This record gives sequence, structure tokens and C-alpha cells, in this order.
Amino acid sequence: MTARTMRQPLSLRLASGAFLGFWCLLAIFPIAWIAVMSIKSPVDAFAGNFGDVLFGPTTRGNGQGLSVLELLIGGAVVIALARWAFSGLPRHVRRLTPAGWIAIGWLVAGLGYLAVFGLVVFGILPPVLGALDAIAGPLGQPVIGATFEHYYAVWVENAFWRNFVNSLVVTAGVVTISLFVGTLAGYALARSPSNLAFWLLIAALIFRALPHSVLVAGYLPVFINSSDWLAPIFGDAAPTLYGQPYAVIAVLVAINQPFTIWMLRSFFQNIPTELDEAARVDGCTHFQAFRQVIMPVMWPGVITTGLFSFLLAYNDFLVTSLLLDAQNQTMVPAIASYFNRETTTTDQVEAIAAAVSITAPLFVLVMVFQRQIVSGLTAGAVKG
Amino acid sequence: MKPRVFAAFVAPSLLMMLIFIAAPLVSVFGQSFYVTQPVYETVEVESCTPGFPTANCVTETKSQPVRDEDGRIETRTLFVGLESYRNLLQFDRVGEYLSSGNWASILNVDFWAALRFTVMFTLITLPIVIVLGLAIALAVNNAVRSIRGPVIFMSLLPFIITPVIGALSIRWLFIGDGILTAALEEVLNRDIAMFAQGWTIELMMYFYRVWHVAPFAFVIFYAGLQTVNQDTLESAIVDGANRWQRLRFVVIPHLGPLITFVALIHLMDAYRVFEEIVGFSSQSHVISLQWLTYDFLQPDDAGNRAISRASASAMLTMVGIVILLIAPVRRAWREHKGER
Amino acid sequence: MTKRTIFAAVGAATLLAGPAMAECSFENDTPVSMLSAGFEAWKAVSDAMAECGSFEAELDQEFRTKQPAAFAADPSLYALGGVANGTITPLINEGTIRPLDDLVAEYGQSLNDNQLIRIDGQVMAIGMMVNTQHLMYRADIFEDLDLEVPETWDEVLEAAATIQEAGVVEYPLGATMQTGWNLAQDYVNMFYGFGGEFVDSENIPTLNTEAGINALEMMRAMTEYMDPEYLVSDSTYVQQQFQQGRIAMANLWASRAGAMDNEAESEVVGLVETAAAPKATADGPPATTIWWDGVVVAANIDDETAEAAFRVAMEGLDSEMVQANNSAAIWLIEGYEPTRLAEGAIATLQSQPAARAYPSTTAMGLMHTALGNGIAAFLTGDKAAEETLADIEADYLTAAREAGLVDG
Repeated sequence: MTARTMRQPLSLRLASGAFLGFWCLLAIFPIAWIAVMSIKSPVDAFAGNFGDVLFGPTTRGNGQGLSVLELLIGGAVVIALARWAFSGLPRHVRRLTPAGWIAIGWLVAGLGYLAVFGLVVFGILPPVLGALDAIAGPLGQPVIGATFEHYYAVWVENAFWRNFVNSLVVTAGVVTISLFVGTLAGYALARSPSNLAFWLLIAALIFRALPHSVLVAGYLPVFINSSDWLAPIFGDAAPTLYGQPYAVIAVLVAINQPFTIWMLRSFFQNIPTELDEAARVDGCTHFQAFRQVIMPVMWPGVITTGLFSFLLAYNDFLVTSLLLDAQNQTMVPAIASYFNRETTTTDQVEAIAAAVSITAPLFVLVMVFQRQIVSGLTAGAVKG
Repeated sequence: MKPRVFAAFVAPSLLMMLIFIAAPLVSVFGQSFYVTQPVYETVEVESCTPGFPTANCVTETKSQPVRDEDGRIETRTLFVGLESYRNLLQFDRVGEYLSSGNWASILNVDFWAALRFTVMFTLITLPIVIVLGLAIALAVNNAVRSIRGPVIFMSLLPFIITPVIGALSIRWLFIGDGILTAALEEVLNRDIAMFAQGWTIELMMYFYRVWHVAPFAFVIFYAGLQTVNQDTLESAIVDGANRWQRLRFVVIPHLGPLITFVALIHLMDAYRVFEEIVGFSSQSHVISLQWLTYDFLQPDDAGNRAISRASASAMLTMVGIVILLIAPVRRAWREHKGER
Repeated sequence: MTKRTIFAAVGAATLLAGPAMAECSFENDTPVSMLSAGFEAWKAVSDAMAECGSFEAELDQEFRTKQPAAFAADPSLYALGGVANGTITPLINEGTIRPLDDLVAEYGQSLNDNQLIRIDGQVMAIGMMVNTQHLMYRADIFEDLDLEVPETWDEVLEAAATIQEAGVVEYPLGATMQTGWNLAQDYVNMFYGFGGEFVDSENIPTLNTEAGINALEMMRAMTEYMDPEYLVSDSTYVQQQFQQGRIAMANLWASRAGAMDNEAESEVVGLVETAAAPKATADGPPATTIWWDGVVVAANIDDETAEAAFRVAMEGLDSEMVQANNSAAIWLIEGYEPTRLAEGAIATLQSQPAARAYPSTTAMGLMHTALGNGIAAFLTGDKAAEETLADIEADYLTAAREAGLVDG
């Protein structure tokens, strides 16, 4: 196709570009705004005009702010780190991970990146810049009010890192188990032409549509009394399921199954049947064919589906808030504790800081995986 | 694939769904026909509560559940048939309003108000999400290759953000003299209270949902656009089709199954609308079906929950979902038959 | 030395003392856990309890849902629970908390008689703080305009009109009227102020009366002077309105008063005063209810654990804790020094005829829910007063029949 026939009139390109710009602004504004609010004193954060919230005069008045120097150097470091996530990181992951382990490689890389980012931005930068400010004269004077005390309060004083670890445990559990269980079922459903398979899929569709609040309320008494009704099976070792991460993982996996098997099924449908038939002729069982022939070509689909599982588990509020106790609480329900009977304005800003903290890993996740999402979906996940 | 092999592959997934979804569903269905209630007795109780400076003692008669010798509350379970459904639907009142020509008053009954909002919410956001998603996908596909990465990244953010946080972040922009309300007031030069009347809250809820879901539609459509058959496009150009015609007759039919997929997912999710009600505290003006169920299940201070009505309202919500799904399922069934 | 610096000094002292079990009079080695709501006062109390060792606190926003089920398990999942007037009801009904008379006799010498929550003659809970909604007002505005502190709601409305006319603030009045629990609570206050009774001895509602209509009308009259977004304004929002100087008066929770003088948040430090809750009628009680928060001990645990739990609780509720957190609540505990901002709460508690304690009955729980869902329709103008009340009564009756409180 020639370039000439596809060339677009300037007006169309301008309109399309303007629309895209507007959409991007709309997409990031609320999120960027809470990030700005989270580093201001309560008075500034809830001020009524843009300038006060952005520049934070009260926060600056308290002697907490960023100087021109800090803005320049800090901004440069953050941008450099972000760019590296797009370019350098994927290259390293691809080079260093053995074939077939790419998902694990990405997971490790993502966590490692998060740790490095946190260390550089919150650990190394502040003291270095503080020292520079002292010798920089007017460039070292704060111009924009900013304080990280809310993050300190959230992560250190309120021990949010514990919730972070709990979130990791629950999310990792849900993603692994639901992919394991889901690929098996998705494969069988894709390869079976029977009516039973069809109705299973329809039942799954209806299950997916169920309001979760109904299910969750039913679990609570059963989970709390589980040591009673499990006693005939386990004897004295019968566990109380309430508060246990593994019980919540099981519930979330189940809730997530319908979407997972639908999605994986359509991936498997795009893999030619000849592939496993050839393996079967060579004497493989169904399971061996599945493991050794099909799975290796399935990674794009598995990663994309895994991301959706991740989002569900990480973002869940209804299930985790009711079925976990304080020691095992994940991050999203932990935010609710900032909205209690006696919430103050400071609590609200801390809640915003917690909200930003919850969003940050998702941010990194999308940054790292966005190519996989698009290429995975393009590979034919959703043919309807 | 032999049935036994099939069963072995599907078993783990099926088992989990049966235990954690189907079993509660069956029990909810059963509970909607029964009520379980404590047996009450009326007793005189003297109770003392803190006063200032001394305690405050009063004697009052109150109803208290009877306890059996094990110390557990004595309860009775009654079969009430469709009573809970009747309490929810309140056909007598609806009939009254209908016969008196007072149609709008039907919305005074919680269930119908919730149904009205839920259905309207689903049907209004659906086309907006699809059109917006498609528009962004086309615009991104149209953009210079080098900016696509960052644009896709930014576009995905509203989708991945935790729903509760997303709703709160929009709420904070508007509540009281929130930053956007203040800006609007400046522009329109009048006093605006976004949370003071039903329609503005509803508007914000629509806005939030579209903002949250359009990226999902976008990324699916964008993936679909990558596989548009270039030969067909080219021959359309040779035939003299203009841009609009190419979109209408080549691109959109190609995306057809994806549009159905997005619509299906969106229908199911929007019909369960819940976070918006809580996030925007809209209970006084608009409620949704899932919120109604949730509200029945939320214990009050005295620990009461309306389990039976909650079950009934959950079942009615289910009926709605099944109705919504009939058309797509029939289509899928025909395809399934065709495949064989 | 101001109060604030004393507070800071005490805080610093506790920090210096470190995490060692310095302030607990005994070393606890029986595992004890507690489930309660998660606001400031509970944090203070549970931190003090933790000093005894082997203690775990769960401060949970879902405690209302979790507590009845967790205490009904055998053995109970928690030894201690934090409750209030309303939330003690399911525990009493199910008999999952134990009478404390013996333990009080043995370990509770430091308790005030006022702290013993007695139900049917037995001590069932140990109160730690009271809370009530009372008047807070901007003393500077009142002084500028030469206004008297209002004692009745009619006077509040007059004062609001004067303030609005003078143009000091756009909306002089704030109120916790968020639909649901808050709105119902405001109505309960007003209804009792007008001398109403919610249900009779058969649990049949008696809402649609003169008192009921008066209370509704008064609430609507208040909304004239309020920010139009009142149906989403909870106590955090009203507190913020005060702190940002956007309102001049509100009937707000006593536990919120301290925030008015918090320099990090408030622009009106030192300008807000408190007074008794306004009356609905000139010779009636203040239109408010009295609430308490306290500790209960589970029934389904062995006696040794209960004893250890009670001793830990006594350490959490001691004078040292109060002195370190004096402004966090209106404490009932020995050693509490009422602050300037506690005057309103004390005046409310002492007024004659007395305001009622919020009744802990099953019927009231159902009524509260029905009110919370029903009243907004009147305030938005969708329904007339009688119709609103009749609908709420019908709602309540449906729920009461389902709960088995009312026959038929």
C-alpha cells in the first residue's frame, strides 16, 4: 500500500491529536491530582483553588517544600528511571531470563524495579538534595510546598508495609492458582465440542454476573465457625478459616474463574488443533501434550489473563475487608480504617497518601507490561 | 477428548466454582423463601449508663430474645413463600400509583427506584463506553508510532486503578468547594453544589464509570485494529471508498465480535453497579440493585440484618442479569451448533 | 506551659520510655485479643493495653459485622470487645459476653461507679468515654454580632438568620445529615427533644405523631441555613467546614471538639466554643442522646483468659492513659481533666430534664435503619411529612415482622 493513499488531511490529524490529548488529560488528571494532594498539608490539600493546592503556600510556610534545584535534579532522576523502565528493563529481562520463565522474570524485575525506585527516590535523593540545597543559595529555597510526612505516617507509623506484604501474598496466590486451574479448564473447554462444555461456559458467565455482596455475606458465619464443622475431618487441627489468607485466596480464585476460563479458552482456540494432535500421534497423553506442546506457545495469553487476575485480586475490597483480620489485612480495605467515626482532615490526607501508595505498584505494572497486554490481546485472545 | 479426560481437566476449576459460587447461590435461593427469627419475650430491665457525675439508671420494658438451656438464642424458621418478594416489589402500592395515574411515585418504592437507576446506568454508559473506546483506539492507531507507548500507558490508568480509589478521587474533585466545582463556579459565575441534587450526582456516576471502563474497551479494540485485513482495506480504497465508508464497512465489521465481547462484559459489570453509590454517597437520591442487597445485609447497631429480603433482592437481580444475557447466549448457542 | 506542650511532653516521655512493658503493673503471658472500632480513643486504649504484652488489637471498620459472629464462636475469636450503646445489643441478646461483677470486685478498685454499665443488675461492660452531640459555635462571630448563645433550636435559627444577613459566612449552620446512620441520628435527637417515643411496648411504631412532624419540620427549617450538599455531610465534613471557617454553628459530636484547636488543620484555633445541646422546646430536654463506649469480655473463653483479659483492660483504662490522651475523648476514667472544649458536653450531661441515653434495643436498631433510608425524601421535597413518616413506619414494620419482633 502506498503511503500516499493513507495520508490524512491535516485537519483530521489535528482533530485526532487534539482528541487524544484531551483524553489523556482526562485519564490522568484525577490520579495526578490525588498525587499532588498527598504531599500537601491538610489546609492546602483541600484548598479551593488550583494554585493553592499546586504550590501549597501553607505547606511552604511550614518550611516544607521543594527548591528549584530539587525539582530539576529530582525530576530528571525520576524521568530517567521511568524511561529506563520502558527501554532498558524489558531488554534486560529478555536477556537474563531463561525461556519459559519469562513471567517469573517479569515479576522479579517488577518488584526489583519498585525497590530500586523507592530506594533512590525516598532513600538517596532527599539527603543528597538536602546537602546541595544548603550550599545552593537562592536556588535552594523552597518554591513549591511539599511534604512527605503523610507517606511517613502511612508506611512507618501505621505499618502499611504489613498490608503491602499481605497484598503481595494474596495477589501472588490468586494469580498462580487461578492461572493453573484456569489453563487446565480453558484448554479442555476449547478442545471439547460437547454441549456440556457449552453449558459450563454459560454457567460460568452467569456466575460472573453475580453480585459479590450476596456471596460474601454468606461466607462470614461459615468461615468463622469452620473449626466446628471441619472438626469431623481434621479433628483438633481444624482451622478457623476466617482471617486466613489462603481462604481468601480460594474465594478470589473462584470468583475470578469465569473470566479466566473464558479468556484462556479463546486463546487456546487460536492454537491450531493440529499441534496437539501431532503430539498425541507421537504418543503423548492429553496432559503431556498440554504441558509440553501447548503451554510453551501460550505465554502471551497466560500473561494477559494473569494481569486481569492480578487486578481483581489486588483491587478487591468486599471480600478482603470482611474475611481477613487485621493481621492479614490487605492494602485496599486498610484504607477504610482512615474513614472511621472520628476521621480528621489529616486522616483524609493520609488516606490519599495511602491511595497513591496503592496505585504506584499498578502504575509500574502497567508500565512494564503494557506491550504484553496489547500484543497478548492482538495475538487473538478475544475473538468474541 | 474423552469425557473422563475432559472431566479431569475441568474438575479443579469447576469444584471451586461449585463450592464458592454455586453453593452460596443455592442457599440464597432457599433463604429467600424462609425467614429465621428469634423468639422474643418482653421483660422489664433496669439498666445503668454513664451520666455526669453519677450513673443514670432507668427501668424500661423491652423485647429480648429467649435463650435455650445451651445459652443460644431460640429461633424459629418460617416458610413465607413469596412474602419477601412481595415486600420488595410492593405490587399493591405500585398498583395504587398506576391506577391513580401517579406514575412517577412508583419510584418511592426502593426496589423500583433501584431498578430504574441500574437499568438506566447500564444502558446509558454502554454506548458511550463503546464509542469512546473506539474513538480512542482509532486516534491512537492514527498517531505517530513514537507516542503510542506513552499514550496507551496513560489511557490504561483509569482502568487499572482500584475502583474505590478511582471513585474517591473523582469525589474529592467535586465535593463541597472541591477544585473542579470551584473552577466551574468561576467559569459559569454561579454557585454550584454538585452533591445537592440527584441528577448532578448521577452525572458524576456516569462520568466515573465511563472514565473507568472506556480504557478497557479501548485496549481491546486497539488490539483488534492491529489485525484488520490490509488487503480488504486496500481494495476498498481502490473502489473509491472514503474514510468514513472504510470505517463503516471494513473496520467495524472486523471489530464486531470484539464489540459484542466488550458490550457483554460491560452489561454484566454495570448491572452490578455498587462502588459508585458508596463512593459518591448517593443513597438519598439514587440507589442500585446491588446496593439494595448490600444494605439489607449490613447489620444495624442491634445486629439485625434482613437476610430474607436480601436474598430475594439478590435473586431478582439475578433474574435481570439472565434476561440481559439471553440474547448473547442464544447467539453463542447458534455459533456453537454451527461449529460442530 | 500550655496544654499542648504538656501533651507533647507526656508524649515524648512515653516515647523515651520505649516499647518495654514499662507502664503495666503486671506481665501478661496469656494471649489476649480485642476487636473494636478504630478511632483515636481506641488506639490510645489499645496501645496502653499492649504494654502488658501478649496482646493483639484489631481495630476494624467492619467490627459491627464481625463482632456478633466472632463472639458467638466457641471459643470466641476475641477475649475483649469494644462496644457502644447500640453495638452491645446483639452481644447481650446472644449472651456472648460475661457478667463482670466478680472481676470488678477483684481488680476494678480504680473504676468509678459511673463506669459500670449495668444491665438487669449485672455489670456487663466497663465504660471508658461518653460522647454526645452538642452545640459548637464561633465565639468571635457571636461577639461581633452581639448574639446570645442559643438555648433552643428556635434561637439557633434566629441566630443563623442574623449571621447570614450580616454576611459573615454564606451558610451559618452545619449538621451531620449524611443519608443513612447520621441523618437518622440527627432525627432521633430532634424527635426525643420534642418528647416523642419511637415504639410502644408491643414494638408498634408511634412515629407519625406531632413530635414526629415537628422534628421533621425543624430539620427542614435548619436546612435553609445549610450548605445545599447537607445530605452528604458526615461529621468529618462538618468538622472541616468549621476548621475552614465556613460555618458558624453546628450540633456536633463532643469527640470532634478537640480538632477545632488543631493548628495543623484548623484556621479557627481558639475561636470555637461549646455549649449544651439546644432544646427543641423551651422546657424539654436537650435535643440529643448520650452515647458511651466501653469494653466487654467474651463469655465463650475460659476463666483464666477472662481474668487476664480483664486485667489487661484495666491497664488500658487507667489514669496514665487518660493523662497521656486527655483531649482524645470525654473520658469517664479517674484523672481526666475536662478541657475548655469539654464544657458543652458536660453542660449537656448535667442539664435538667436530662437527655436520654441512646436506647440499646433491637427495635431501635431497625427503626434507625428505616429512618436513615426514609427521611431524605422529605428534605428533598419528594414527600410530605405525614407520608414520609407513614412510609418509614411501614418500612420498620416490614423489617420488624421479618425479625420476629412484631407478630403478623
